Amino acid sequence: MKTALRLTLLALALAAAGTVSAKDTDLLNVSYDPTREFYAEVNQVFAAQWKQQTGETLNIRASHGGSGKQARAVVDGLEADVVTLALAGDIDTIANAKQLPANWQSRLPHQSAPYTSTIVFLVRKGNPKGIKDWDDLIKPGVAVITPNPKTSGGARWNYLAAWAYASTKFRDGDKVVDFLTSLFKNVPVLDTGARGSTTTFVDRKIGDVLIAWENEALLTLEQSNTRGQFEVVIPSLSIKAEPPVAWVDKNVDKHGTRKQAEAYLRFLYTPEGQRLAAKHGYRPAEPDKVPAAELAKFPEVKQVTIDGAFGGWKKAQAAHFSDGGFFDKIYLPK
Amino acid sequence: MQTRVRPALNARTATVSLWSALACALALPAHAQSNELTVEQLAQRLRAIEQRLGGGDAVANASADSGNLSDLDQRLRVIERKLELQAEENAARVASTPAVSLSASKGLSVKSPPPGDVELKFKALVQADGRFFIGDELLPQNDTFLFRRIMPTIEGTWGPLIGFRLTPEFAGDSATIADAYFDLKFDPRATVRIGKFKSPVGLERLQSSGSTGLIELGLASELTPNRDLGVQLQGELAGATVSYALGVFNGAVDGRDSPTVNPDNEFELAGRVFVEPWKNASNALSGLGFGVAASSGDRRGNGNNFLPRYRTPGQTQFFNYRSAVLADGAQTRWSPQAFYYRNGLSLLGEYVSSSQDVRVGAFADELEHTAWQLTAGYVLTGEDAGYKGVARPNQPFTLGAAGWGAFELVARYGRLEIDDDAFPRYADRNAVAAAARSWGLGLNWYLTGNLKLVANYTQTQFDGGAAAGRDREDEKAFFTRAQLAF
Repeated sequence: MKTALRLTLLALALAAAGTVSAKDTDLLNVSYDPTREFYAEVNQVFAAQWKQQTGETLNIRASHGGSGKQARAVVDGLEADVVTLALAGDIDTIANAKQLPANWQSRLPHQSAPYTSTIVFLVRKGNPKGIKDWDDLIKPGVAVITPNPKTSGGARWNYLAAWAYASTKFRDGDKVVDFLTSLFKNVPVLDTGARGSTTTFVDRKIGDVLIAWENEALLTLEQSNTRGQFEVVIPSLSIKAEPPVAWVDKNVDKHGTRKQAEAYLRFLYTPEGQRLAAKHGYRPAEPDKVPAAELAKFPEVKQVTIDGAFGGWKKAQAAHFSDGGFFDKIYLPK
Repeated sequence: MQTRVRPALNARTATVSLWSALACALALPAHAQSNELTVEQLAQRLRAIEQRLGGGDAVANASADSGNLSDLDQRLRVIERKLELQAEENAARVASTPAVSLSASKGLSVKSPPPGDVELKFKALVQADGRFFIGDELLPQNDTFLFRRIMPTIEGTWGPLIGFRLTPEFAGDSATIADAYFDLKFDPRATVRIGKFKSPVGLERLQSSGSTGLIELGLASELTPNRDLGVQLQGELAGATVSYALGVFNGAVDGRDSPTVNPDNEFELAGRVFVEPWKNASNALSGLGFGVAASSGDRRGNGNNFLPRYRTPGQTQFFNYRSAVLADGAQTRWSPQAFYYRNGLSLLGEYVSSSQDVRVGAFADELEHTAWQLTAGYVLTGEDAGYKGVARPNQPFTLGAAGWGAFELVARYGRLEIDDDAFPRYADRNAVAAAARSWGLGLNWYLTGNLKLVANYTQTQFDGGAAAGRDREDEKAFFTRAQLAF
């Protein structure tokens, strides 16, 4: 009798284990605007790889929007397992809400930035306004398209790249502010996210120049419906944008997805992950893992870093984008 | 130099399209779409729209050479894009903004953004009475104005599972809690209610206090418990034609609320099944409902928390036990009940039996008190009557206009009889009555859906209750009420 009972219990345990292993797992990646196509492919490749390795079916969903808005959504309760945002300051916002530890950036290589990008200009074919550098963006009659730095991580990189250029040129705070003020006076539409700005420039045919992520610009050049209609202009100075990634401890513990979330992000550092990043216009953090031919589309750009030019994201955020910061003075003149 | 636009002479399709778009965007009246309109005039109007949309500086700066069609095209595109962004922003705001509504019929409510499963409602019931007794020489009663009820209510839902209600009562000398419960709404067929709420026995007692036919409840309701503390499973079955409730409670004496804690460590089961077979039909029987309710439990102790005192519809006490009597065992109630509503006609009737094991010294008995009542009403002005009252007059009362609101006549008759075995050991026939018979007439004036003025006359006759075996003098009560409810 005891043997029968043990066998029954064993069978029930095995059945339960089988049920658990066969269960689908959901993973939510809350990301920023221009990563749609990149993560669509990453999710597909990683889920297949994970299924092969573990037998588990992963349903990876992605949410895209302005990086700042996305961070606030997570703070307000959007249960992201991983966040792949445009800048570390946005993930710091989530860390400040105690959803992941303050040292999150040290948990993955390269300060948790598996790929980088930079800021370039996208102009219409033939460059009718003759835009070559930042100075051309403040000329009267030049309509500049860039999103709102209050809501878009990409816009903050755009703004800081312009600031870095002006600082190098003028070395005078007032003149730098004047430069940025002139630039934003030339912005007729302030979208909330980088993808919205691309839509404004490319689809709605508004403006003369789009300040854009390099990957977003490359994507526009390569898309069949826009091929041949635009050119990329590399400014004399830009900024090294390091979009970071992190798993959100509070949510992965709640969902029981810590293992999957961490593996998903570590996948980005593998040769396959790095290759996909390059394919979608992101500069791989470990370029030696990617065939040289894949890197040919990334020209040399003189870049400053957020740490070197601004003392890190926290300082940049406080000085420029907090309420009453430089951006408020530049865009909302009293 | 002023540029004149002559579409008829301009063959370029793009330009024609642009003119059409401009005309639409600027909502030009038909007569303005003439050949006399100039680019400068259009640019001026466009500038006015840009100023209204804001960001005029950026637009103007980017459009320094305003005056040619490609520039106007850009500016129009900017406006269109800004409107798109505004629409997106508004949609996002709507999706994340709670909906606040305030209406006379439903009070104040705040609903969470979609899916809107968190909702708070603020309601209130205020009843101010004027009460006068006629011919009360032998047993004088206080003529008085009083607040009968001041009951604000906060109720709502907190997610799809949880509903709640909190109703304090401020009309007494000190604030109390009338209703305080939350519902676990597993299914319309099965909801668990936990807290303090009306026990499911009396039909008239289960009516909202603002909807009863007359100002005070009838004699049969004196035998049913009021609010009690406990847990109740309730629900509706068969297309809501069958409703049921079954709960376990601390136990309340007849006609009263239960104390805040269970004084005798005994519990009471109470339940009710009510059927409205033709509720979903449209025929003469669709307003018919009938059912049965019952409660059973032990009660052990002495005093007002254990033994009932019965009141007339004028709220004067006419029966109580001797002070030495103990509740000492089972209390059982049962009540067949029914209502019928058809257009303006309302009928509501119930019979209640309440029995209680009592003891004095070595003597013990089971005493059964019984009561019944029938209430009939008719809305003179054509509105439909219902269990929830006349909700909304067809023509609300309006100063200086034709509307007078709704008028309803109500009549009620009821009897309550004390078990003969209660006398003389458990109750003193010279001090309390052995039976009461009461009739009442009422006029309800619904000025609006929220304001109701009421006048009632009730007369109650007694068996016994006075010295030397005489009958207590009749009670003649004229009550008035002003009621505000939303």
